[in-house]
Amino acid sequence: MNPKTPKLQQQQKQETTEEIASRTAREFASPEELLRHDADQTSPPRALAHRVAESIAKEPGCTRSWWQRWFSRRTTNS
Amino acid sequence: MARREYPRPSLVSAEAPPAEAIPDFKARALREGPSSPGAPPTWASPEFGAIYEEHSRQIYYLALRFLGDPTQAEDAAHDVFLKAYRKLGEFRGESAMRTWLYRITINHCKNLLQTWHQRHMVNNAEDNLWETAAASTESPLRVLEIKELGQRIQKALHLLPQEYRLLLLLVADRQMSYDEIAVLTEQSVDAVRGKLHRARKAFIAQFQKFA
Repeated sequence: MNPKTPKLQQQQKQETTEEIASRTAREFASPEELLRHDADQTSPPRALAHRVAESIAKEPGCTRSWWQRWFSRRTTNS
Repeated sequence: MARREYPRPSLVSAEAPPAEAIPDFKARALREGPSSPGAPPTWASPEFGAIYEEHSRQIYYLALRFLGDPTQAEDAAHDVFLKAYRKLGEFRGESAMRTWLYRITINHCKNLLQTWHQRHMVNNAEDNLWETAAASTESPLRVLEIKELGQRIQKALHLLPQEYRLLLLLVADRQMSYDEIAVLTEQSVDAVRGKLHRARKAFIAQFQKFA
């Protein structure tokens, strides 16, 4: 067995602990900043986009908007 | 604040179109059914797909932290975007698209919470659902950190009054001004400032408890 291995493992473990400490010890000036960081790290589930896209594909279509009705009336009158 | 103009969806009609009139991309989406989770979704309305891409993160985040349950937040975000698609013709651009989507989200989430409280359902979010909250692409160390931080934030938010929770989540969005938050929550800007001051203090006190 390599005698350096336990020392190397200990060193790696210490580095990992330091890395965790440096990441979790980050300070935020305000709750907003903390929540912004949290929001930046939180992605919506990938399946959500597919669910929404599939649901929309099944929709028969929504009613015409006010500007479409307005333009079609103008076109009919002219 | 500069407002972004959104193109109107191309798939708007008073009546349901006959089968042969369904555009190719929509027919393809219906024919192919669910696409693989790794591939980008096929949008029947590419314009609405762009709206989803721009706002889904914030809408999901608001639902997640307001409801405190990742599965319910996913369902809520789905329902919000479906409602938005159905009502897009009513959107006149008097407010920003983000504000309009937030309004739908807040109403939907409040209704859900009211229903849950009426049924006396127990929120079991802390037991098993945080496993799904972290992004799958993150390293284990990063996920661990996000989960710990997310759990602390969620616990602290959960102990705040609903109104404080909502105000903090809205003001955390860089796109939202105090004026827009005041309109969205139906109160004066001064009231928003005062409540936010108290909400920050309450949040910090609760957050430090879970250190």
